[in-house]
Amino acid sequence: MLKKYIIFALIAVLGFYLASTFKAIPFGANRLGDLNNPETVSAFYLQKSPEDLHVANTITAIVVNFRGFDTLGEVTVLFLAVTGLMSILYRKEEEETEERLAIPSSSLVRTGAKILFPLILVLGIYVFVHGHLTPGGGFQGGAIIATGFLLMLITYKTFYTNHNVMTWLESIAGLGFVAAGLYGLIVYGSFLQNTAWTGNLNDLISGGLIPLIYIFIGIKVGTELTSVLDTLLNIKPRKK
Amino acid sequence: MELLNNILEYLGLFFVLLGSIFLFLGALGIYRMPDIYDRLQAGTKASTLGAMSVALGVGLMQPDWLIKLIVIILFIGISNPLSSHALARASYHSGIVPFFKNKIDAYENVVKKEKKKH
Repeated sequence: MLKKYIIFALIAVLGFYLASTFKAIPFGANRLGDLNNPETVSAFYLQKSPEDLHVANTITAIVVNFRGFDTLGEVTVLFLAVTGLMSILYRKEEEETEERLAIPSSSLVRTGAKILFPLILVLGIYVFVHGHLTPGGGFQGGAIIATGFLLMLITYKTFYTNHNVMTWLESIAGLGFVAAGLYGLIVYGSFLQNTAWTGNLNDLISGGLIPLIYIFIGIKVGTELTSVLDTLLNIKPRKK
Repeated sequence: MELLNNILEYLGLFFVLLGSIFLFLGALGIYRMPDIYDRLQAGTKASTLGAMSVALGVGLMQPDWLIKLIVIILFIGISNPLSSHALARASYHSGIVPFFKNKIDAYENVVKKEKKKH
């Protein structure tokens, strides 16, 4: 009985603080500041990304252009994490590995996975190709692609990712990002400076180097997360 | 033309309402049912139908999005029952005992046959 009262009292206290917190937030009020005053940062971003960069998605403009160097750092962090994981969990193919699944997945799941896998890949590619137009981008699209590979890896005993292809794709994507940055450095004088060739706002080909960089990021994140899953599931083809 | 638009709008609202009712019933079923298998039953059937009919209702209200929404409906129709099937099968094979009332377990014999095959 006492327990109930204590729980009620706790919920009441929590509810009071929750309500008072929400009361302090001015919902619906303009908290961005004066958008016509270009001295505030938010107004600067909101004006510059459609006008100068021709990018509809302001967040993409910030992530890939205004803070592009930071994004390069993030990609590097992910790369280092994957490298560390691979070096710890590396296994030679000759070593004996356990069976991947105790019970094979049912035929329903296998058929369904075959249907869903290309759809998931298409969605992932769509998300990172349209990163400068719609919500989402390279990291999100890469994560979606990795979930597609995870589905195939846990459904089929005989599905293996080709490590050579993965490594090459990842390296080319990483090099592409750095090359795009160096291009800006050589032509315009600062690293990751965006190019001037831009299509119309809301077109697929617009925003200079931004879509290209996001495609590189998408490929890189997708292959890296797939290799993480692959390594953690500890999957190697059995030696015949 | 306006009449047609009105009819489509009300039809869409009806489907959204129907979908929300089914989603609510699914949530209630997940809360009320005794074990994982019954919960999956309630969750899957009700939430699949609910999500599909909400998507259809939105599609009727906004005919521009209808094709995209039909693709989403097909995706839900494939993936939702499939994942529940995989969950139920995995939980049976990892030894979760169903909540029996009449002690009938039809799947037991199937599993035994499959094990003999291996």
